[in-house]
Amino acid sequence: MNEKAGNVFRRTIFFENPVIIQILGICSTLAVTNKLLNTLIMCIGLTLTTALSSLSVSLMRKAIPRKVRMIVEVFVIAFYVIIFDLFLKAYLPEISVALGPYVGLIITNCIVMGRTEAYALANSPTISFLDGLGSGLGYSLILLIVATIREILGFGSLFGFRIFGENFVNWTIMVMPASAFFVLAVILWIFKAMMIKKR
Amino acid sequence: MVKQPLMRRVIFSLLPILAFAILNFGWKVLLNVLVSNAVCFTTEWIFEKYKKKKPTESIFVTGTILGLILPPSIPLWVVVVAGFFGTFFAKEVFGGFGRNVFNPAMVGRAFVFVSFPSFMTANWNLGVFPNGWRFWLSPQLMSGATPLRAAKLEMPVMVQDYFKIFWGDIPGSAGETAKWLIIIAAVYLILTKTASFRIIISTLVGAFLTAGFFQIFGISSLGTIQNLISGGLLFAAVFMATDPVSAPRNESAKWLYGLLIGSLTIILRTFSAFVESAMFSVLIANMFAPLLDLLTQKKVVAK
Repeated sequence: MNEKAGNVFRRTIFFENPVIIQILGICSTLAVTNKLLNTLIMCIGLTLTTALSSLSVSLMRKAIPRKVRMIVEVFVIAFYVIIFDLFLKAYLPEISVALGPYVGLIITNCIVMGRTEAYALANSPTISFLDGLGSGLGYSLILLIVATIREILGFGSLFGFRIFGENFVNWTIMVMPASAFFVLAVILWIFKAMMIKKR
Repeated sequence: MVKQPLMRRVIFSLLPILAFAILNFGWKVLLNVLVSNAVCFTTEWIFEKYKKKKPTESIFVTGTILGLILPPSIPLWVVVVAGFFGTFFAKEVFGGFGRNVFNPAMVGRAFVFVSFPSFMTANWNLGVFPNGWRFWLSPQLMSGATPLRAAKLEMPVMVQDYFKIFWGDIPGSAGETAKWLIIIAAVYLILTKTASFRIIISTLVGAFLTAGFFQIFGISSLGTIQNLISGGLLFAAVFMATDPVSAPRNESAKWLYGLLIGSLTIILRTFSAFVESAMFSVLIANMFAPLLDLLTQKKVVAK
C-alpha cells in the first residue's frame, strides 16, 4: 500500500493537516506561538522528531513485538526529543528558556505518536519518513501563520524587528495564549472553506 | 431590516442616557456611539447577506450600548476593534441574532479591555454636566481615577459625595454615570415589559446582600450603598443582564442569574485587580445561563 511521495505531502500538509483537520497538537499551538522565532525553532524540532522517529520505527517495525510497540515508540521519540533539547540548551540557550517545557513535551505531542503508531508501523521506511516530514510541515504551516498574526499584533514586530512605528499600540491579548484560540479558529474556518471548494 | 419593537424600546431608553453623556463629556461620545453602531451594523450586514438573511434591529442596541460603556477618550480605532470583535465572535459565529451565548457588547468591551488596558483604565475625563455641548471632549482628569478606582487606591475624598455619584457629573465610562437616568430607563423598560424585572431586581439584591456582608465584616472599604451606585453595576443590571438572548429563559432561573451577577460583581470588585467587574460577571453569568435553565426545569411527567 505504498503511496506516491507527492500524494503523501498533499495529504499530510493539506487534506489531513494535523492541526486543522485532526485537531492535534493544540497545546503547543496555544503555548509557543507568541513569537515567530520561538515558533520556528519549535516547528523545526517537531518536524525533525516526527520525520526521524517515523523512519526509525518503520525500520524496526518487523522487530517490535506488538504488545510493547507503544513503549518502543515513546523511547524512540524521547531519544530524538532529548537530542534536540540538549542541542537547544547548548547552542540557543535563550530560545530554550523561552520555549520552556514545550520542547520536552514534544514527546507527548499527539502528532508524533499518531504518525508512528498509525503510519510508520505499517509502511516502508522511505514513505514513513516523508509522511512524518509532511505532518511536521503541515503543523509548522499553521503554527507559523498563527505566530505571524500574533507577533505582528502583540509586539508590532516580525522575528523581533519592529515593523510599525512608535505609535503602534501592542494588543496585550495577543501575547496571551488565549488569543491563539481566536486566531486558530479563524484559520481553521478559512482552510475548511477552501477545502470544501476544492473537493 | 427585521423589525424588533422590543429592541427599539431599548434604544429609546438609551437615548436620554446618550444625551446626558454628551452634555457630560462632550460630542466625542456621540461619535463613539455612531462609529460603534456603524461597525456593528456593517459586520452584521455582511454576515447576514452571506446567509441570505436580513440584519436585525438588535444590532443597534449592541452598537449603542458598546459606545456608551467605553471611556469617552477612547481612540476611534479601538471602538472599531471592539465593535467588530463583539459582533463577529460573540454573535455572528454562533449564527446571528437569538443564538449568541454571550452579550456581544460585553465581549467587545472585554476584548479591548484586556488588549488595551491603558486606554480603558488610565484616561478618564471630567464630567462637566451640563456644559459638555461646548466641548469636543471634556478636560482630562489629572489623577486618572474614577470613584471606584479612587476607592481602590484609598483616596476616599472623591467617593464620599453620594449625590454626585447618583447625579452623574463624575468621570467614568460614557453612559454609566447618570444613575437616576438609568433607573428611569429601567422603570420604562419594566413597564413596557421589555426587560425582565426579575433580573434587574435580583441583580441589585445580590449586590446589596454581598456588599452588606462585606461591610458588616469589614472586608470592603466601600459602603453598601456606595457599592450599589458606583461603577457599571446599575447599567449592567438594566441593559446587559436583561439581554433576552443571553439570559436564561425560565422565570425562576432569572432570579438565580441576577443574584449570580450581582454578587459576582461585588466579589470581583473587592478582591480582583479589575474595578469594572460588572462586565466580567455578566459574561460569567452568561456562561451559566443554560445551566441555570436546566437546574430550574420543571420535570415533565409522561402520562
